Amino acid sequence: MIDVINLKKSFDNTTVLESINFSVKKGEVVCLIGPSGSGKTTLLRCLNLLEIPNSGAIKMGDDQLTFSERKFKKNKLLTLRKYSGMVFQGFHLFPHKTVMENIIEAPLIVKKQSKAKLIKQGEQLLEKVGMIDHKDKYPDSLSGGQQQRAAIARALMMEPAIMLFDEPTSALDPQLVREVLKVIEGLAKEGQTMVIVTHEMNFARRVADKVLFIDGGFIVEEGPPEQVLDNPSHKQTKTFLQLLDDEQ
Amino acid sequence: MFNSFNQIQWEYLFNFELVRDSLPLLLQGLRISMVIALFSMIFALLLGLVIAIMRMSKHWIFHLPARVFISFMRGTPLLVFIFILYYGLPVIGVQFNNPIVAGIVGVSLNFAAYNAEVIRSAILSVPRGQWEAAESLQMGFPETMWRIIIPQATRIALPPTFSIFMDIVKGTSLTSIITVNELLYSARIVAGRTYESMTMYIAAALIYWVVCIIIGYFQQRLEKRYNRYLNQR
Repeated sequence: MIDVINLKKSFDNTTVLESINFSVKKGEVVCLIGPSGSGKTTLLRCLNLLEIPNSGAIKMGDDQLTFSERKFKKNKLLTLRKYSGMVFQGFHLFPHKTVMENIIEAPLIVKKQSKAKLIKQGEQLLEKVGMIDHKDKYPDSLSGGQQQRAAIARALMMEPAIMLFDEPTSALDPQLVREVLKVIEGLAKEGQTMVIVTHEMNFARRVADKVLFIDGGFIVEEGPPEQVLDNPSHKQTKTFLQLLDDEQ
Repeated sequence: MFNSFNQIQWEYLFNFELVRDSLPLLLQGLRISMVIALFSMIFALLLGLVIAIMRMSKHWIFHLPARVFISFMRGTPLLVFIFILYYGLPVIGVQFNNPIVAGIVGVSLNFAAYNAEVIRSAILSVPRGQWEAAESLQMGFPETMWRIIIPQATRIALPPTFSIFMDIVKGTSLTSIITVNELLYSARIVAGRTYESMTMYIAAALIYWVVCIIIGYFQQRLEKRYNRYLNQR
């Protein structure tokens, strides 16, 4: 489903990602873990083309985009972006639109689908994420957890092959984290392909097929959660997990 | 320097009868002031939006002319600019047959620069996450701008834009210098004829004030409408 080949990303003279190689199979859930500033969010943003890698290639489905310092056509972005939907740490719902208007906006404008059909589809999705009672409310009147669940529904409305989550619970109060994780776990059970940046290790253990530990812009360790999270082989992974344990 | 209080000739300070008698003439002048103000505001908003977008462009060919335009218009007095248009341009063969048109052109161009800066700052104050969310949902630049950014920027730009509109209404008084028979011009005619300057200029000031109160009322109503999605908790 996704093949990331030798990806490199730098901002000015600072290299943020270096020699990134990994694959995600259809239906697989991959969790990206690592310390702050390690490059995991940048990697996720590269997958959605919100950041343009300096070199390397990303293959999604049948489409591949090769990046180089000199030649890159921005109009090719859309071809690859169609594969993924993004959920942000800060939700970024459109504040001037109700929950229903938020979730039908993109398919209405981009895919030019009929509004009646989209509202029906939207209601089913909102039911699924437990937000149907809030469909006519504006984001400002919702809790963080409710906003994030609406944001998940908004991304799902575009029917992406891959869902990308950037620390979906980091901006939430502890009591609201569970309701969002439950929705994501539900998607995992349905076989939705997902890449998730998270600090919730128990969640990663439950939901992930594969865990990638990133530090200093490199993938240090990768494997099933029981291997990376419970028996890490690299010193950096052990130190990071130990620090997380101490904090909790 | 000052007369003592009981020496003030109150009838020269504000002559109600004169104001009542000259009200039709003043309202005729007000009508012309409002025509100039409304047309100028519409042109200044449209031109301001174009200049704001040019100013935000990364290409110098767009942002440089926009920067020079804004700098010149904000750095020169409106009256000087109106003089250039009406008395200066005929030297190179450009003549305004109607001073009202010259007034509208002058006021529009001058205030377009202020509108451009208000629009630019409002667009920039919409959080970056809104652009990114729309981008990740495959929305293009025009759709994102029109459906996501502009509605949010409008809410932010409303108070300063209405302040500009009030400035435009008051700025129309400068066109009296190029013989536009607007409100201040009408007041000057009566004042010149009757020597009741104080009465007529206070009357003109009160009319400008009432117009601005009405504009302020519309501002409040629009702000309420655009804020409806906020603070509902």
